[in-house]
Amino acid sequence: MAVTMVSSRRDLEIHRYPAALYLVVMLVALVVQALLPRILQDRFWFDIPLVITIYFALARRSPIAGMLLGGVMGVFQDALTGHAIGIYGIGKTIAGYLAASVGVRIDVQNTIIRVMLNFSLTVLCNAIYLFIYRVLLGMEFSWNWPNTLIQAVANSILALFTFPLLDRFQVKD
Amino acid sequence: MESFFVRYRNLLVLLVLLLAQIIGLAMQVRRTVAGRMVFSGDASDGSGVRLIRLWANWVVSPPERALQSSKTGVGSIWSNYFDLLHVRQENKDLQATVDRLRLEQAALLEDARQGQRLQALQGFQQKYLYTTVIAQVIGTSGSDQSRVFYIDKGRDDGLARDMAVITPDGIVGKVREVFPHTAQVLGINDQSSGAGVILESTRIRGILRGNAFGQPQVVNILADQRIKPGERVLTAGGDQIFPRGLSVGTVQKVVNDPDRDGFIEVVIKPDAHLDSLDEVMVITSTQPRFSDAQMKDLAVSQDLKGAEAAALADQQRASQVMAERLPGLTDPNATPPAANGAPAGSNGAPAPNGATASGGVTVVPKILPPQHADRFTPGGAQASVPGAGTQKSAPAPGSNSPNSPSSGTPPSEKSPAPKKTAQPGAGSNAAPKAASKPEAEPHSAQPQEKP
Repeated sequence: MAVTMVSSRRDLEIHRYPAALYLVVMLVALVVQALLPRILQDRFWFDIPLVITIYFALARRSPIAGMLLGGVMGVFQDALTGHAIGIYGIGKTIAGYLAASVGVRIDVQNTIIRVMLNFSLTVLCNAIYLFIYRVLLGMEFSWNWPNTLIQAVANSILALFTFPLLDRFQVKD
Repeated sequence: MESFFVRYRNLLVLLVLLLAQIIGLAMQVRRTVAGRMVFSGDASDGSGVRLIRLWANWVVSPPERALQSSKTGVGSIWSNYFDLLHVRQENKDLQATVDRLRLEQAALLEDARQGQRLQALQGFQQKYLYTTVIAQVIGTSGSDQSRVFYIDKGRDDGLARDMAVITPDGIVGKVREVFPHTAQVLGINDQSSGAGVILESTRIRGILRGNAFGQPQVVNILADQRIKPGERVLTAGGDQIFPRGLSVGTVQKVVNDPDRDGFIEVVIKPDAHLDSLDEVMVITSTQPRFSDAQMKDLAVSQDLKGAEAAALADQQRASQVMAERLPGLTDPNATPPAANGAPAGSNGAPAPNGATASGGVTVVPKILPPQHADRFTPGGAQASVPGAGTQKSAPAPGSNSPNSPSSGTPPSEKSPAPKKTAQPGAGSNAAPKAASKPEAEPHSAQPQEKP
């Protein structure tokens, strides 16, 4: 556990990024998320906005920033679907909050932690979506749980490549 | 108090954000007739929600359109500069194909017109031809829970909500949101979609919607053993969105509805390739409209049909000539209809049997007299009385009077058959063959049935 727990001040360092990067990365994530399913069809399992939300929430170590980022991206995703606005928003708001809260306590530079965090938050988000669809909205909405697990694995793998890439844009003090 | 807010700041912000979004969700939910609160994907959005969708569309659509056009540009460079081998020959072949297809299309359009007339007679408002706008798919919702995609045509191109989106293979979905230059299309495999469909052979109706795996399925169907895989599914036309009779797909499998006993779900294999859509057609009007090209095709079709009709008339004429030259049961010298429509008969009198050629009255064929009359011959009953059993006393067929002196002559010698005699008063319409025959005795021209 020593590997995963915060053990030094460096681990608690708050990473900063250029302001434009947030906008660009969010926009790219939303556009790619909307475009890639056309190319990969049913083989597109990623939830890129969720991965981006988790990354910035972990890096900023600020639950409020994570929630706002996740909420905005989720609402934009909702707007692109034909469903009610707020389903993805609520899920990603909670994901951003949890990721940032976890990031304060454990070493988020660890690869295994990143993979596990992405996996578990993806599953959690899907459970929240299902709850909203069925309970809050009263929709008869069936769910594809195997697909959810595949998406969780895919997000974890995507995070392995995306996180180091985004780390390069950190503003050094 | 201040320390409370500082201490639980993060949690409070989370609660505020969640509360705001839940209130937003609640505002999008509507009450059903049964009093249940549900969200309907088909219901129109409020102004606030629509504004958010518009913003998201403004953010995402321009890059999508740019990427699509750059992809098209790269593709066009390849196709315009590197892929031009055998293009001339292909062009010739294609032109020939187009010419042939235009003729076929013209014939089909004529059939379509006839079909429309029949439909109008039956009071159906369904039409056969529709005005469509071709659009390019530029993006998706990016979520496997939402089978929504975006097209590059919008309000400026004449699109509106609830217009049907199809491909030549089958139906795809309907327009859900319209923006100035783009539109959002709800696929038939989305769980919130709904389309009225009918199974082609069993005529069972149901509602088509998507399942969790992105497959369209027909729901609200009572278990029925007749539904088998492979049966075709068509639009029923009752949803006021999809015209009736469009292809939807084929039955893939039948599964029991997990939520309701006695009901089944019919999973459909869609005819349209919903996962790899590139171009789609939006039906902007169901009113039949024939373009100038179609009208031209129709004219060509009618010309062709005129030539066919002329050829058919020639064939009929030839068969009539052949029929005249061949022996037949009917008497070619029978009273022909008068040219002016007046009844044929001697001295302009009406025909004895009342048959006329015109005026809608059919000509009753004249019964030929027997060559050797006997006592069983109709009209020869008087000859069969005792004491009059000789052949000479038998009335000659067609004779004016049974006691006529000429009646002693056997009919086979002097008046062989009335068919060889010309009917007085037949006029110029007598058959040419009959005119060439020698004129027969006048008495033989009298009808046999005359008392």
